[in-house]
Amino acid sequence: MDWTMWVEWIVKGFVLCLILLTGFAYLTWYERRALARIQVRVGPNRAGYQGLLQPIADAVKLIFKEELTPGHVYKVVFILAPVLTVVPSLVLAAVVPLGTSFNLFGREITLYVADVNVGILYLTSIASIAVYGIVLAGWSSNNKYAMLGGIRSSAQMISYELTLGLSFVTAIILGNSMNMIDIVNEQRGLWFVVIQPVGALIFWIATLAEVNRAPFDMPEAEQELTAGYHAEYSGMKFALFFMAEYQKMIVISMILATLFFGGYLGPFVDQVPLLGPVYLFAKVIILLFGMIWVRATWPRIRYDRLMSFGWKILLPLSLAIAFITATGILLADVLNNQLFFWSIPVVSIIALLVAVAFIYRDLRRKSHGRI
Amino acid sequence: MTAPASTTTIDLVSRFPEFVTADTRPGFSGFIVKKENLVEVATALRDEFNFDLLSSVTGVDYIADNKMEVVYHLHRTTGGPGIVFKTQVDRVDPMEVPSLIDVWAGADFQEREAWDLLGIKFTGHPDLRRILLWEGYEGHPLRKDYQEAFFEEETKPFKSRWPEGHHTYAEFKNPFRDNIKLPENFKLDNYQPENEDQLYFSLEKSSMKHTSENQMGTDHMVVNMGPHHPSTHGVLRVAVELNGETITSLKPVMGYLHRNHDKIGERNTYLQIMPFTDRLDYFNSMANNFGYAVTVEKLMNIPVAERAEYIRVIMAELSRIQNHLIFIGMLINDLGSMYTPSLYAFEERELILDIFEAVSGARMMCNYFRFGGVVRDIPADAMQKIKDLVHDRLPAKTDEMERFLNENEVLVGRLKGVHVLNAEEAIRNSVTGPVLRAAGVPYDLRRADPYSVYDRFDFDVAVRYNGDMYDNYLIRFDEIRQSLRILEQALKQIPEGPINSQKPQYQVRVPAGEAYGRVESPKGELAFYVVSNGKPNPYRYHVRAPSFVNLTAVETMCKGTKIADFVALLAMLDIVMGEVDR
Repeated sequence: MDWTMWVEWIVKGFVLCLILLTGFAYLTWYERRALARIQVRVGPNRAGYQGLLQPIADAVKLIFKEELTPGHVYKVVFILAPVLTVVPSLVLAAVVPLGTSFNLFGREITLYVADVNVGILYLTSIASIAVYGIVLAGWSSNNKYAMLGGIRSSAQMISYELTLGLSFVTAIILGNSMNMIDIVNEQRGLWFVVIQPVGALIFWIATLAEVNRAPFDMPEAEQELTAGYHAEYSGMKFALFFMAEYQKMIVISMILATLFFGGYLGPFVDQVPLLGPVYLFAKVIILLFGMIWVRATWPRIRYDRLMSFGWKILLPLSLAIAFITATGILLADVLNNQLFFWSIPVVSIIALLVAVAFIYRDLRRKSHGRI
Repeated sequence: MTAPASTTTIDLVSRFPEFVTADTRPGFSGFIVKKENLVEVATALRDEFNFDLLSSVTGVDYIADNKMEVVYHLHRTTGGPGIVFKTQVDRVDPMEVPSLIDVWAGADFQEREAWDLLGIKFTGHPDLRRILLWEGYEGHPLRKDYQEAFFEEETKPFKSRWPEGHHTYAEFKNPFRDNIKLPENFKLDNYQPENEDQLYFSLEKSSMKHTSENQMGTDHMVVNMGPHHPSTHGVLRVAVELNGETITSLKPVMGYLHRNHDKIGERNTYLQIMPFTDRLDYFNSMANNFGYAVTVEKLMNIPVAERAEYIRVIMAELSRIQNHLIFIGMLINDLGSMYTPSLYAFEERELILDIFEAVSGARMMCNYFRFGGVVRDIPADAMQKIKDLVHDRLPAKTDEMERFLNENEVLVGRLKGVHVLNAEEAIRNSVTGPVLRAAGVPYDLRRADPYSVYDRFDFDVAVRYNGDMYDNYLIRFDEIRQSLRILEQALKQIPEGPINSQKPQYQVRVPAGEAYGRVESPKGELAFYVVSNGKPNPYRYHVRAPSFVNLTAVETMCKGTKIADFVALLAMLDIVMGEVDR
């Protein structure tokens, strides 16, 4: 193997980590500013122009903060847990294509770290590892709140991973491949979100639960569990959990953009390959705003309702969506009639409405039954 | 002008001639019941005379007569004046009085408080532990022969603070860190805090885990929520026993903010208490001032200036609106939404606080009421601000908040049908205020027993019938609307004239007697019980805090529910620790 290949990989991996780390820092700024706007406030605007240096100030503060390790914790696991949470969130992005390829000094450089032909399998497996970090953090803290947070999160993440996996399946069926690059290329004609809007929605909801964002932020529910699994962490160790959450937000938005919103595709992307990352970046920012918006406006769902929502509504719905997609494509192929293909979005939306009707019935019945 | 507490037309003496006598001390009213027959009389009062709401239980130490007296105030939830009956025991330990907890569950915390502060032993109380002070505390501070560390004099102003006519601070004499007295041979390093076996024993005793529902024999976990917890609204601590996420047993532990308001009040002169009441429910200093002023005016039997009555009503209603706005914001905050509704609510609240600042000089600790009136007139520009708020801004903003929030699925899902408190249970537990009205009992002191000029306004008592958290949430909006209605009329009717019927004075002369004055504070029935012996300081000063009494119902409401709902319940009861711990 050529040594330049190694150099290329190392540089690309390094750059990707750098993008995610800066992205994390500026995502906190973006979130705080956006939240402030929604909440009739101004938000951080003192450090640098419009508060742009705020993340740096925060980082400096966190690094120099005293790091307390309580005496009653199980030290090895306690220190290992934040690492176990951060690493998957960084590694996850390796298979996401940022663009096609471009020429640099006569050498073709691809805009992705790894071209794995089972990219989606890689994603699901790595995403599952992150749950260990949280559970171990909760357990090793030897604190009841942290423990409850850890247990909540393990149950929640496992439940929603099924839904997440099934939404991956829809994208796989539509893209006819498990390779992320193939899936993007498949969307040159039409973004998958048009064919399968419900799949995209389910994916988005499941990711909210997967990255523990509001309204599914059970493990760290401040009002109930003080800080949940990271109650005993301080200083840089806490920052690592924080970092993991935000990096996962970015990566998951990148995956969502790739699977359903055309990834790096956009006008003139074939002529100017470097536009690819720009398009992806723009899409990610828009998707991230959705997450922030939800956080600013929705109360938290109660834990038992969250579980029943995951198992009784989302999982059947995503199963139905996968089935509808597969059947539609099969029928369109076999009978050679595009009408079946276009019935996929229609039938999916009907399935969604049925699910919504179930939720409403449930809400109404609860109030009638109890009162 | 409020009429002096019309005792009542009930003839209890002829009903129980053997053991009930009328209280004939000058300035006093009500009946004195022999303690052996207390439960019998109480049951009769509840069942035959329909006094279903136990308003307050407290004690007074008449050391000169060598008597300890327990005072019970009863009211009807259908309205009208209340009844007071007392029982006396000799001042020899143990001072045993039968507990009324089987007649009114609402006696629970108040009897514990009387035991804690006065040392009256309520026999038959299932859980008679100290409530505001800690286990192991020596003595009962509200007894008249109890003297605190660094005791100087019975009453203020202390002479030592005025050496040679110049004011000095006690802090100069006892500098900080040296102002504690420790027992002989006390080593802080070896100090072992008093264990809390009693608390955990009582938690265990009332646990549901021994019932047949727990067939799996799962392990239960005891979690102490608080005193440092983001959503216990201050320093409330709750010992909770959990089965997974379900609460099987629960005991509130309070007193972390206790400063013995009653005792300090007895040291203070009558006027000195006025700013001190601000610190009870620090969101509604106006309502606290109102309650105290009404009580002392009852004792002094003085009229209130006409214009001042209207100003009082305006301030009290503005205070209610801002309290309910905070409530709505904070409730949704405790449900887990990221501060957004509370920040919208705070925006309106700031405008109301601007008005308080304009009239009293302070935004939260207003100290605005005086006996016979208020301290300052409303400035013209502040009056204009009030009119703008009441007529334009607040109605629009209330509508806006309702439009945004009421139909939110998560909110409805979290609130509807959760923590249902039915009317009987609410009355039994002495719950008052919006929580009682949401349970379907239209009991509002502004209508039930009108004070000040509330009988002149046309408004409805907001009431909802399901008693769940969703109704509790909606009723706050209803009350804001009714308050706005009262404000509109008050602003139209307010007359010109003096703002105080009395001369401004530092020292008021209060004739001997007792008075029980109550107002509808935003949190519930806020009442003051003041006993005067003609001196410049009250002989007994007791606050019946609505948050404190409403907390009695928590235990029954929470068992078997989820811990996340418990957090919401604390927000729903709208407790303020300044008032709970006093």
